[in-house]
Parts: sequence; structure tokens; C-alpha cells
Amino acid sequence: MLKNLASLWRHRALVGVLVSRELKARYRGSVLGFFWSLLNPLLMLAVYSVVFAFIFPGRSASTSPYALFLFTGLLPWNWLAGGLTDAASSLTTHGALLKKILFPAEVLPLVAVAAQGIHFILALPVLGAGLALGAAGVLGPAVPVGWPLVQAVPLFFLEGVFVAGVGLLLAALTVHFRDVKDILATGLSLWFFATPVLYALPDIRSERLRAALLWNPATPFFEAWRDAFFRAVWVAPERWGILVLISFGAFLLGYAFFDRLRDSFPEAV
Amino acid sequence: MSAPAAVVAEGLSKSYRKWGRTRAFGTLKSALLGRGFGAALAPSETVQALSDVSFTVARGETFGVVGPNGCGKSTLLKLVAGLFKPTAGTIAVTGKVSALIELGAGFHPEISGRENVVINGVMLGLTRKEIERKLPEIVAFSGLEEFIDEPVKTYSSGMYVRLGFAVAVHVDPDVLVVDEVLAVGDEAFAHRCLDTIADFSRRGKTIFFVSHSLALIEELCDRVLYLDHGKTKALGDPRETLAKYRMDVANEEGARLAREHKEEEKIFLEEIPPSPVPVEKPRRWGSREVEITGCRMLDVSGAERYAFRSGESVTFEIAVAPRAPLSDFVFGIGIFTPEDVCVHGTNTELDGFLPSRLDGPAVARVTLPACDLGTGTYLVDVAVHSRREAPYDYWRGACRFQVDSPDRSAGVYRPVRRWAFEGPIALERK
Repeated sequence: MLKNLASLWRHRALVGVLVSRELKARYRGSVLGFFWSLLNPLLMLAVYSVVFAFIFPGRSASTSPYALFLFTGLLPWNWLAGGLTDAASSLTTHGALLKKILFPAEVLPLVAVAAQGIHFILALPVLGAGLALGAAGVLGPAVPVGWPLVQAVPLFFLEGVFVAGVGLLLAALTVHFRDVKDILATGLSLWFFATPVLYALPDIRSERLRAALLWNPATPFFEAWRDAFFRAVWVAPERWGILVLISFGAFLLGYAFFDRLRDSFPEAV
Repeated sequence: MSAPAAVVAEGLSKSYRKWGRTRAFGTLKSALLGRGFGAALAPSETVQALSDVSFTVARGETFGVVGPNGCGKSTLLKLVAGLFKPTAGTIAVTGKVSALIELGAGFHPEISGRENVVINGVMLGLTRKEIERKLPEIVAFSGLEEFIDEPVKTYSSGMYVRLGFAVAVHVDPDVLVVDEVLAVGDEAFAHRCLDTIADFSRRGKTIFFVSHSLALIEELCDRVLYLDHGKTKALGDPRETLAKYRMDVANEEGARLAREHKEEEKIFLEEIPPSPVPVEKPRRWGSREVEITGCRMLDVSGAERYAFRSGESVTFEIAVAPRAPLSDFVFGIGIFTPEDVCVHGTNTELDGFLPSRLDGPAVARVTLPACDLGTGTYLVDVAVHSRREAPYDYWRGACRFQVDSPDRSAGVYRPVRRWAFEGPIALERK
């Protein structure tokens, strides 16, 4: 496993070129090109702003302005969901490649996760604009904005490691069980509601439900994103510890599973 | 073989899981409900693609692999390229392997040729710097300067392959694995590929070569491995190995033709009216005053056979039964190419026989002591008719046979040749 991790490191250039290929290919042929990565979240923010300002106003104080609250949760969620979906099908869609060219197979799911990560980063200017508007009080009650924003950097890294780990596991499973893709679609929507994206964890009144939601490995990430982007508070060291544990635990588990099944991929895809 | 080995295979075996009814990898649901997760991943039924194959390829050697489809050639290539792991045995490859298994594998249709070259190069193990340095050379080799910045989805299949080949050879491997790639692309490109491969060989690189073109294998390879059903049938000198392979193919073909012939006999018991005939499909007509009850081909020993080497003795046997005794009959045979060109046609009348009586079931045989035909498939017409050519029973394409010629001379006729030269000229036997 360590030897394979080392070989993966040697192939980092490959991950780089494949991610850039993925991004280039996605918008090739469209008029606006990369601008879509910016435009999509912008439109999303605009829609939520209108909906929650005029159609469903009056949320709890801890989540308003709700459009901005939702946006700070949806961006990292889209990365997680998109990354896992793409990673799960990465080996099967590029199966021909695995049969013909010798390279570490884990490159493919990692590229899928990284490409979705780039989309997340490309959407950050929109978030920045939203935060500026929120701080000015345009979207509703003024939100605090400050230094805790820098926590986004380690959070980005940790979520990447977490998504990569789960993505590797799913990719390996999908090779042998094509149903994973279908289960994943439903599973992700269930997971979406079990993760504090639409709501803030402290707003859950039932003590038991709140405790149950804490068992969701994604929960600490989204609470931390909210702290960084929305509440502008510092995440406590023990919570960082938990995040590191979850993300690296997921990665090692996913990688070990992937590594065990590695030899079966070229034949089974 | 003093040169150090580039590829060493010992007792190499490879089996695949079968995707039959008891699907080894079913669905997740079946795994969870059925025999459990571990059992779902364990092979239940396997197909042996390669069994106990051993060989050594010296550095700088060009090593060919031949065999019928499904003999394990592709599996062997994938093992050499490191894509698959052997089920048993070991394979050790020294140096960098570049596999021309499918050219342009991994090209993304939406992005430009140039970007694809970079990605493909990195995938094949070059660093970004190396590939960028070699880029102009690769583009020049492919001859696609004008199109290199267009997305590859606009390329023709030939352009695609040219670009793929250009990248693969510029990776500068120690061992080049070539699978049937020369079958694609135009003549000029095929020549360039061959030149490149020859150049590789001159530079002391090892080439692992798989092709159905036996002529190409014979020309390029130092040694040849003949695989059949995953087992080594022969290994060594290209001439001998290929001769053995050719003979096996001819026999196999003969067995198949004999089986087909039996089937045909069953089908064409009914009289079919004469019609403009497409060849291959036997047609039969005539008054049936004499009926052809069978038609076989025999070799020199009298055994039934439908595959012959050029120059062998070939006998055609026609069995007939008259409805009533008669004295006016002629036996005829004709040999045709599938394009319906008459190679030879004769009958007892032309060959100077005068019929006197045919009272019951009888057999006529005609032998060609040296059947000097070129490589190919031939169809045989047999007929019994009256001396005024009123057909009793005329059977088009009653048999088919295969001829295999050891040399590569052209045409349906392959006579024995003797060359002589005069004047200031010198030639040597190869």
C-alpha cells in the first residue's frame, strides 16, 4: 500500500493534466466557457435570494439571511455530492483506459474529486460577493465577516481528503457492483437531509435527533464551513482533531479497500 | 542467447472468471442476500486463457506471437504490458514498456490534438517537460501540423491512429508491445510504422509483436511463439513455427468444410430448378435419370479431406445411381474460384472416354496428381449428363476445398518454377 501511495505521488503530474483536461472538456463548445463555473453558483445564489426573501421569508435568526446561509452549505455539499458521483463512475467510464495503459487506477477517482474541487474554488468569488452583500446588510440582517474565513483553506484540504477516501471506496465497489451508482443517487439525497445544509444543527430541537446527526461523518465538516463562512467564529481545536481523524480515516480506509481490489479492475471494468 | 533477457515468463497462467449464470460479480444486492460479500468476489467458474507458458525474450530481439483468435495472444500482451496480473507463474520485464495495444487510447474527443498528446504522453510515463520538448517531433511524425489544434473529435480514424502511434513511439520504451496496429492506417503510414519498428530493432530495443499477418511476422521476427488454446504449440525459428501453424489452420479448415459438406447434402435432397446462381450456394438441376448420391474429395492416401497443400494429389469422387440402366452418360467436374472464375473443367467425353453401360450405383474418381493451385478457397461443380449435354444431375458447388501454398506467389495457378540468370548478375538464395 505504501509503495502504491509512492507511485501515486510520482503520477501527480498525470492527475494535474487529467484535471485540466476534465475542466477544459467540460466547457468546450459552450460560448461562455469557464465563466459557467462562476455563473452557475451566481444564478443559484440569485434564485435562493429571491425565493427566501419573498416567497418563504421569516426563518430562525441563526440562519438568516437564509439565502446566504444555504449558499455556504450548498457549495461544499455540491463538491461532496458531485465528487462522489463522478468518482464512483470514474473507473467504469474510463474502463478502456485501464485495459490499455498502465497507470495507477486511483488517479481516475482522484481526478474526479479534484475537478469538482476546482469548481468549488471557482465558485468562491460568488460567495465572496454574497458575503460582501451580506455584511452590508443588503440580503437581510448583516452577517459578520472576518478572519475566521481563513479556516476555509484547511477545511478545503480536509474535505478533499474525506471525499477522495469515500470516492475511492465507491469507485472500487462500482467496478464489481454496478448498482452502486443507483444506490448512490438515492443515498446522497438521504445524506443531504441528514447533513446540516438546509438547517443549522443547533436549530434541531430533539436532543436525540441532534445526537444521531452527529454520527454523520459529514456533519462536522458542514458545521465548520458555516463557522468559517457564515458565523465568523473559530473552530475549536478538538473539532479540528475530529475533522482530521474523519478525513484521514476515510482516506486510509477507502484507499486500503481500493488497493486490495486493484488487480481486478482491468479485467472487470 | 547471451544477451540479457528483456522479458522472462515462467509457467505463466491466466484464468478469467466466467460471467455465466452464476455471475461471480452479480449485483450488490445478490452479494448481500446470497453467498455473502467475500463469496461474491471469489471466482466460481474460470476460463483458462493461458496455461503454463514459458519463454525468454532477449534484449534486442523481435519476438512474434501467432495463433488463432482466442488463443491467448491478447492476454499474453496484457501480461507483458503489466496491465493484468498472472493467475500463476511469473513474468518479469526489464525496462520501460510501451504498449501499442490501442493507439490513441485515452484521447478525449473534445480537446485539441496537442493537449491530448501531452496527456497521453504523461499517461505513458513521460514527464510534462519531456513531452513538451518532444511535442514538435511528435506532431511532425504524425503529419498533422494543420489539425493539431483542432479537437480530436474532428479527426478521421486514420488521423487518430497516426497521432496515437506518434505518441507511443516517442515515449522511447525499452520494450515495445505491438498488437495488430499495422492493420489500420493507409499504405504510406503502414510503411512508416514498419520503418519505425525496424529502427527500434536496430537500436537494440526489444519488440513483442502480435499479428495475424504471418508474412509480416516472418519478415520481422527473430523467434515466434505459436499459441493454441492458451498453450505453447511451438516456439522457435519463424519459418518452422509458422509452417506448423499454417498446416494446423489448413487441417482445421478441412474439418470444418467436411462438416459443412455433410450439412449441404442434407439440405439439397430436393430438386431445385435452374436459376442464375450466386456462387457459394449450391444449386442442382437435371432430369435425374442418373442421380449424384455423393461427392467427396480424397487425398493421396484415400482419406477424405478438404484442405490441401499446393502440389498435393487431389481426388474427386462422384457416386451415382441411375434410375434405369443406360449407356449415354458423361461425368464432369469443374473447379471455380469464389469469384466464379473457372480454374479447370473437364469431363469423361473431353478426356476421351466412350460410355457403354451404367446398370446400377457406381463411383467415378478423377485424380489430379499435382494440384498446383494457389492459396485460396475453391468450389467444385459435379455433373452427370448425356453426350448431347442434357443434364441428368448437375450440382453447382457440391464441395468446397481449401488450398494453402507455402510461398507467397500470386494467382490461382502455382506451378513449379525454375529461374536461370545469364550475364553479369548475381543472386543468392535467401
